[in-house]
Amino acid sequence: MKHLLKIQNCYRIYFKGTIQIQAVRNLSFSMRSGELVSIIGRSGSGKSTLLNLIGGLDTPNQGHIWIQDKDLTRMNRTELARHRRYMVGMIFQSFNLIPSRTALENVSLALAFGGKGRSEREQTAIRLLDSVGLKDRMNHSPGELSGGECQRVAIARALANRPLLLLADEPTGNLDSKTAEDILDLLRKLNRKGVSILMVTHDQLGAERISHRRLQLMDGTIIKEEQLRSLHETG
Amino acid sequence: MKPDELTRIALGNLWRTKLRTFLTTLGVIIGIGALVSMVSFGIGMQKNVTAAFYENDLFTSMLVSPQQIDVNKAISGDMEGMVNALYEPPPPLVDSTLSCFQTFSGVVISFPEIRFPVKIRFAGNETRINIRAMPASMGQYKPFNDLLAGSFFKSDSQNTIILSQNILKDLNVKLKNRHIHHLTLEDSLKSTVLIEADSMIGDSLDVITSVVDVTKMTGFPGFSIKGHRRMLFKEIINPFQIGGIQKAGSGFEAPSMISGAIIPIQTAEMLPRVGFNNIWDVLGGKHDHEGYGSAIVRVKHIDHVKAVQDSIESMGYSVFSIMDQLSEMKKGFLIFDMGLGAIGTIALIVAALGIINTMVMSILERTREIGIMKAIGGSEGEIRTIFFVEAGMIGLIGGIFGLLLGWLVTKIANAVANMIFLKEMDFSVNFFHIPFWLILSAIAFSIGISLLAGIYPAARAAAVNPVEALRHD
Repeated sequence: MKHLLKIQNCYRIYFKGTIQIQAVRNLSFSMRSGELVSIIGRSGSGKSTLLNLIGGLDTPNQGHIWIQDKDLTRMNRTELARHRRYMVGMIFQSFNLIPSRTALENVSLALAFGGKGRSEREQTAIRLLDSVGLKDRMNHSPGELSGGECQRVAIARALANRPLLLLADEPTGNLDSKTAEDILDLLRKLNRKGVSILMVTHDQLGAERISHRRLQLMDGTIIKEEQLRSLHETG
Repeated sequence: MKPDELTRIALGNLWRTKLRTFLTTLGVIIGIGALVSMVSFGIGMQKNVTAAFYENDLFTSMLVSPQQIDVNKAISGDMEGMVNALYEPPPPLVDSTLSCFQTFSGVVISFPEIRFPVKIRFAGNETRINIRAMPASMGQYKPFNDLLAGSFFKSDSQNTIILSQNILKDLNVKLKNRHIHHLTLEDSLKSTVLIEADSMIGDSLDVITSVVDVTKMTGFPGFSIKGHRRMLFKEIINPFQIGGIQKAGSGFEAPSMISGAIIPIQTAEMLPRVGFNNIWDVLGGKHDHEGYGSAIVRVKHIDHVKAVQDSIESMGYSVFSIMDQLSEMKKGFLIFDMGLGAIGTIALIVAALGIINTMVMSILERTREIGIMKAIGGSEGEIRTIFFVEAGMIGLIGGIFGLLLGWLVTKIANAVANMIFLKEMDFSVNFFHIPFWLILSAIAFSIGISLLAGIYPAARAAAVNPVEALRHD
């Protein structure tokens, strides 16, 4: 089977004055379409940096990242924007919703960047919010929603332009255990529908519960890889 | 992203910070208001002057003189060129020459310019003026075809006089109009009388000319008058009837247009007086017996001026046309307008700095939002465009309301100026003029300056690092 994502000998090095920080170091791994892969590791292990590299928000100093045979490291800034728009959808620990916009408007904005017309935007956004159980809260702003609801809006927004890969950066990090469980269930549900998900998390049990594969990161490189279940099995 | 969504995002962002947006836009409004009111003043002045010239048909009149004085050289300060020309013998300007002028295509009338000093006495008051002589046929042309009262004389030999309002003022006569119903205390002290213009028509008026008193001359050995106070002149009283009163000017005409008095040309020639017709007769005294000092040639339309002027000059005469000065006048007004515009532009530049400040502040506040937009697929171009649209919106709104402010300022200033300067006049003057091109230019300029002001903030917003922006509080 062809790889959806392939990372090869990737390095991301930051410089703070004369100090060199290797956030990602000689990292290689791949992911197939339909997989739900979790990346676990301690703070500072390079998990979020890796997700930013795959999401096209950051670029590696060395190595290659392919998504469906397209090398991100060879893309210009406009192509990277298209990559973020159509190839990946991102979910963040702190939700990253625009506070001045309603749930509907936050989802619509992603669709607007996708070039959708006004009525199509609205219909699609309502459908997406309905799919995450928030149709009745669509006109509420993030400040009027709970953490779990905000993360559901963020998931709806991430799915807006039908991405090939959903990148979730600590999606349950700011949520209580019950809500976190609900969000993980929602991600699993989406995965069952065919959405490929790469999730960074501290929640080892949660990762074990829903993932096909678990990668452990330390000092910017993968130190352990566990196949939890086969791709055809569901968690 | 489609333009409607871009506009909606930009408007939403501006609406979110209403007070700041209002204050920034207010700066643009004031800048555009200042620019519009100042430029419209320059345009208004130019329009008034040009209109006054057109109103008096000055562009269709030419002054022809036999002297080789290049009036344009004289005006431009080339006195040497002007004086040198005096030594060349000029062709005489005689009646046959004037008849010849009238055969040129477009010429409607030509007549000698006769202008001499007289004293005028009316209702016991006297004033000294330069009287002008004209043929009765001039009555069909501006401004003589539309008098305030009475009508232009019908014959070249009648003893009728057309008065300007300036003379009436000197004669302590005030005309009633919708602003003047009664005399002020100052008027009463000066024994000024208040009269309806129409009631003056047909009244008698004395035109007093001077002639040399031969009997007095013989009383002095060697005809010398040095050391003696008695004059060699005596005054002749010539009775005239008031035929008409000219309208007052708008204040933008050359004084010669609206001052003095006019009498029929043959009557003028018959009046006993010390004989020279005008200043050209003095300058070219040796030729005065050979013809007129100068003549007026009037053409049907402004388009005929150049051809007629060339034809007359080819005959060896000097021609002065106000048309020659028109391009210089336009240049002068352009400089004037640019000066006024520059002051307005300074105000707009200050407003543009306000826009830059506001938008840079906005970027700092919205750094995280910019990061989010980039994370969900917003390109640098789209982020840049959002900020550009915001700047453009400030410019558009500022331009429209600035235009309204400018219009309001001009209306108020015009009303005040009319009240102060033309309080006793029976007409009003628009000192300001806002043409359609100024409306469009002001709005375009406002948007243009705002977009220029938006370049740096927009570029800065587009360059925001999304990873850092998402970490931003």
